[in-house]
Amino acid sequence: MAEQPDLDIRHLAKGYEFPSFHVALDPDGVRRYLEAVEDASKVYYRDAPTSRQDCLPALAPPLGAVALVLKALLDQLKLPEAAVHTAQELEFRRALAAGAHLACRARVAQRSELRGAVISVIEFEIAEEGGESAPAVLGRTTIMAAQDSPGRSQS
Amino acid sequence: MSPATPGGSEVSALVRRVTQEKILRYAEASGDFNPIHVDEEYARRSPFEGTIAHGMLLLAYISSMMTDAFGQRWLSGGRLKVRFKAPARPGDVVTASARPLHASAADQGPAGGGRLEFAVECSNERGETLVTGTAAVSGGEGSETA
Repeated sequence: MAEQPDLDIRHLAKGYEFPSFHVALDPDGVRRYLEAVEDASKVYYRDAPTSRQDCLPALAPPLGAVALVLKALLDQLKLPEAAVHTAQELEFRRALAAGAHLACRARVAQRSELRGAVISVIEFEIAEEGGESAPAVLGRTTIMAAQDSPGRSQS
Repeated sequence: MSPATPGGSEVSALVRRVTQEKILRYAEASGDFNPIHVDEEYARRSPFEGTIAHGMLLLAYISSMMTDAFGQRWLSGGRLKVRFKAPARPGDVVTASARPLHASAADQGPAGGGRLEFAVECSNERGETLVTGTAAVSGGEGSETA
């Protein structure tokens, strides 16, 4: 049984930096993601070797990479049962390769309390390992959690 | 109907029916098995009184719409800023749409090196707004579509 995280998002102060973490994109997982979101754009396959242009993508949809990064990030946290993802900002600076290994950094950019709820804004950066060190994707995720809700770990 | 942008590009609306099967498929692809999305018994006892789609699935619809319109330009120069207003539920027909706001750089649009900005949203067949915000795509040389 997986160990339960004990880092409660409601207790993280502004400025808290998460340990850096890594996420691997694999072309087959990217293909499954594209099928799941019904994205049939050929742009992801354009630069794939001819032999696999019909089956495995060369590029990853940025939302697919962000979804995996948020999953890895939130796995580090104990989220209250009623935690709600209320807002999302994203900036895509470079396309990500479908086989890329991603290096990710995140920190609590804002924390506020409003009518019994804690609102946390987590900023994150995604860079491609072995590529340019500057981030390829920047993001800000806002999560609202009731102060008195019992904790629930992710996944 | 597809709105024309000041720069001449069009963003066609995208329509998707949300089903529990699609929610499960998204959970498997993203690794997000939060029970509010995948456990019908748990979700029935929650304030939502049933399972709801991942908010990130709705964002994926918006991103697909923008990729259809701008291709790689979106993947390497897109910006998205949204708020989640209400959940999508199994059976909902979700429409992602974009309305042009303005284009910078003398309305040249991406082909001319400017930046196009749109009001974007996801709504359901009852006209309820599920996601609302803005999307922008930066320019470069040449327009490239999916």
